Amino acid sequence: MRAKATWWKTAIGLVLTAFMLFPVYWMVNVSFTRDRDMRKTPPYWFPVHGTLEGYRAVVDQQLPYLGTSLLVGLGTVVLTVVLSAPAGYSLAKLRPRGGGVLSFVLLIAQMIPGVIMAMGFYAIYLSLGILDSAAGLIVADSTIAVPFGVLIFTAFMSTIPEELVQAARTDGAGTARTFWSIVMPVSRNATVTVSLFAFLWAWSDFVFASTLDGGGTREPITLGIYHYIGNNNQQWNAIMATAVVASIPATVLLILAQRYVSAGVTAGAVKD
Amino acid sequence: MNVVTRRRRVLGASLVAVALAGGLVACSSSSGGDSGSEASGPYTIWDPYPQFDNSSDWVQLLDKCGSAAGVTVKRTAYDTTDLTNKALLAAQQNNSPDVLIVDNPVISTLADAGVLTTTGDTKVDTSAVEPNLLAAGQIGGKTYGIPIGANTLALYYNKSILRAAGVDATTVKDWASLTAALAKATAAGKKGITFSAIGTEEGSFQFLPWFWGAGANLTKLDSAQGVAALSLWTDWLRKGYAPNSVINNTQTTSWQEFATGQYAFAENGTWQLANAKKTGFDYGIIPIPGQNGGTAPAPTGGEFVTVPVQKHTARYSTSEKLVACLTSSDNSYTTDTTLSYIAPTDPVQAKQVAATPELRVWVDAVHAAKGRTSDNLGTKYPKISEPMWTAVQAALSGSKAPQAALSAAQSTAASATK
Amino acid sequence: MNNTTHAPVARPVRVSGEAARAAPPRTGGRAGRPRSGQWAAWAFLAPVTVYLVVFYAYPLYRNLDLSLRDYTVRSFVQGGAPFSGLANYRKVLGDPTFGPALLHTVVFTLVSIAVQFALGLALAVFFTQYFRLSATLRALFLVPWLLPLIVSASTWSWLLNSDSGLVNSVLHGVGVAPVNWLTSPRWALVSVIIANIWIGIPFNLVVLYSGLQTISPNLYEAAALDGANGWQKFWRVTFPLLRPVSAITLLLGLIYTLKVFDIIWIMTKGGPTDSSTTFATWSYRLGFGNLLPQFGPGAAVGNLLIVMALIFGLVYIRVQRRQQSA
Repeated sequence: MRAKATWWKTAIGLVLTAFMLFPVYWMVNVSFTRDRDMRKTPPYWFPVHGTLEGYRAVVDQQLPYLGTSLLVGLGTVVLTVVLSAPAGYSLAKLRPRGGGVLSFVLLIAQMIPGVIMAMGFYAIYLSLGILDSAAGLIVADSTIAVPFGVLIFTAFMSTIPEELVQAARTDGAGTARTFWSIVMPVSRNATVTVSLFAFLWAWSDFVFASTLDGGGTREPITLGIYHYIGNNNQQWNAIMATAVVASIPATVLLILAQRYVSAGVTAGAVKD
Repeated sequence: MNVVTRRRRVLGASLVAVALAGGLVACSSSSGGDSGSEASGPYTIWDPYPQFDNSSDWVQLLDKCGSAAGVTVKRTAYDTTDLTNKALLAAQQNNSPDVLIVDNPVISTLADAGVLTTTGDTKVDTSAVEPNLLAAGQIGGKTYGIPIGANTLALYYNKSILRAAGVDATTVKDWASLTAALAKATAAGKKGITFSAIGTEEGSFQFLPWFWGAGANLTKLDSAQGVAALSLWTDWLRKGYAPNSVINNTQTTSWQEFATGQYAFAENGTWQLANAKKTGFDYGIIPIPGQNGGTAPAPTGGEFVTVPVQKHTARYSTSEKLVACLTSSDNSYTTDTTLSYIAPTDPVQAKQVAATPELRVWVDAVHAAKGRTSDNLGTKYPKISEPMWTAVQAALSGSKAPQAALSAAQSTAASATK
Repeated sequence: MNNTTHAPVARPVRVSGEAARAAPPRTGGRAGRPRSGQWAAWAFLAPVTVYLVVFYAYPLYRNLDLSLRDYTVRSFVQGGAPFSGLANYRKVLGDPTFGPALLHTVVFTLVSIAVQFALGLALAVFFTQYFRLSATLRALFLVPWLLPLIVSASTWSWLLNSDSGLVNSVLHGVGVAPVNWLTSPRWALVSVIIANIWIGIPFNLVVLYSGLQTISPNLYEAAALDGANGWQKFWRVTFPLLRPVSAITLLLGLIYTLKVFDIIWIMTKGGPTDSSTTFATWSYRLGFGNLLPQFGPGAAVGNLLIVMALIFGLVYIRVQRRQQSA
């Protein structure tokens, strides 16, 4: 059945993706554009008089920061999953007294404006002496993802059939064992979703980085953009070039992760 | 499934999670700028020049001044719009830098917050600075810093477009002749003028030369002169002499428009001189004309070097040495050349003009310029500026007539500054 | 098929007929809660609870405190701001910006999440089908999220620029008069909504796609045996089983959309003249968009937003309860 030609679906997929990514293309286009062509009427669809000026600036100055971004991104993923998966399980399956209140607090927590959160962290970090550290940034970035993670895990884990959990109990498994051996494996989709967004948020975060990590030696790549935002002038091709350079490794990582996940699902089926 | 009850494991895992979070916190290295602890130790400097990296002249100058004063310097650059809040937050947590370089209209806010020392406290010598420039850092008879350099606005023009349109730039002396020149350029198939009327302080900065050039006063936004200035802009938009995009233009965007070579004029700042040379066409610069001739007073731009309040006042003497070094004649010349600014003192200005004669027009413009927070407006200025830029936006986007927009702005400003 | 080792064995769900209506699986019998169970439940919650207290309590307190005192820049730095009760809230409620900001917040939020959800769901269903490159293309849909908002929002204002923007250039090409997307009061809100929908699609796509993955394919096979066509399968299997995930997606979407300020701020600054101002941008403008910050009223507007989210949160929890006890 699946052998039926699916090329037209691929074609539709390509068109949709192209449409979706058009603004991203435009960013790439601007990153190659000379200052004098940036506001040309009508605009060039392609960098006709392309310049590598923006990229030259970026490659000289920005590459070391990619490592920091990667470290912060992955650290945020780990911290987020470790904190939110057990909580999601508890809220979805163990029905703790006061769980509703906690979900509620999690919702409200997300409404605190990032700037206010950053101000709070600034005061805390200053007294702890951990401004300008990757670890501090990981903890701060995780505050965007943890409430999300708990709610997502709760929603997904509540769809796990009660029979499955009960079966494990009947086999004599304790709560911990059930969580680790039964619930986590079937929650792979939730884990992937939460990890993806934790990574994306950490990767593109700006507010926390600039408040908590500005001027340190371990700046993430997003702050690199500031090198091109002077007090009076902005160098837009370099800003866009930074974003392009910053998004390439992360894009590759996303595609590989998706591949791995699909492969994992299939492998599971084979084992079955 | 080989299931064994091991609840402890979960508790263990939870504890590990907490410990991990705590451990991450605890074992990370600290490099926060804790500057107030004692008189020795590194001196922190914050500036709004993130475009300069460690190899730049500016950062090397900071290091040089540090070693001359016998201390190490730790410099951090922030985005200029971010720096005000950063400075307030740091002051709240007693973590102010030793030297803070900050955009001049922010001085009154920071001084009002008690963040800055006066030059009297720190013995910083401001005697050589031109009074109209220093005024932007003076509130209630006290001076809170010293300008590192000054910039202001003027009109850049595209020589070939004016030639093709048959306009002689030297005849543009007042609003009428400017508007006539725009009409000719537009008739010749080119675009007239671009400026920045965005809904932020940048918009007010760009509007002020016309507002003041009409003889209006910030304490009365809806005067006939104020309305005349706003009507001038509104008419340009309506007649197509200025593009509609000015409503959302930052000064950089506006410059990019001029740099396409499609515009006859652009209102922009001293700092664009370096970029002007890269456009690939011949350009000239004239001062912004007043309504009935003469040079309109443009607002002064540029940053001040300030010394924030410290718990340990013993640090001030070294900070003063740093400030004196940064603003000394020789260093001022280098810095203002890098920033494309005009120096704040006569002798250095003369040196700049001798080296680059085309700076003459900018030196004149800076002499005619006026601080936004001057006239003892201080922290009243921001409360007037916001309604003003809102009125400009309302008139240009056509949602209100200039008179109505400015009347509304005046009543907002009046109740805010009461 | 793609069952994982522990995947639920398809329960006998009769798709045809009314049974599918009650499809969201029940989350357990309504037995009492044994005390030891409570201990275990809270052991699992402990890390997050500690985390919340440590990292959120202070900012939340701070936001409340800012809104209940008369802060000047001086008292912000030096301390000692007098308690002013609800004065900041009164000031905000009486401000001429309040009405338009409320309206724009509601319109911006509802239109954004409705369109994002619909498009996200459609794309998610599309991507659950197997075709070449589907995984790669799905990954590429996430690229907008990798970009710092300052870049993506600036790119949108680039495209929508009245004079040199690509959109107007295309419109001109097909003979339509240019639109002042960002600079006319009529279009500014529409423009920022368009950009925000674009930003939100990947989120909805990914979460809903993962939700679809958890639906056992056996159910579709059962439905197919019952003679259901694609449309019926969607409404009778997919949609009811996706309800918990849909609900959380909408709720999170709502919360994230309510607090969006950077896109609007970068594209229009909330203007021209408040025509695209929402509570979030207004709060930011009061607190940070001026040379002289007004922290009190800024925090008060921010807290009004929290109240709005609270109301929606209550609705969500009530609906969830009803489902659980259904």
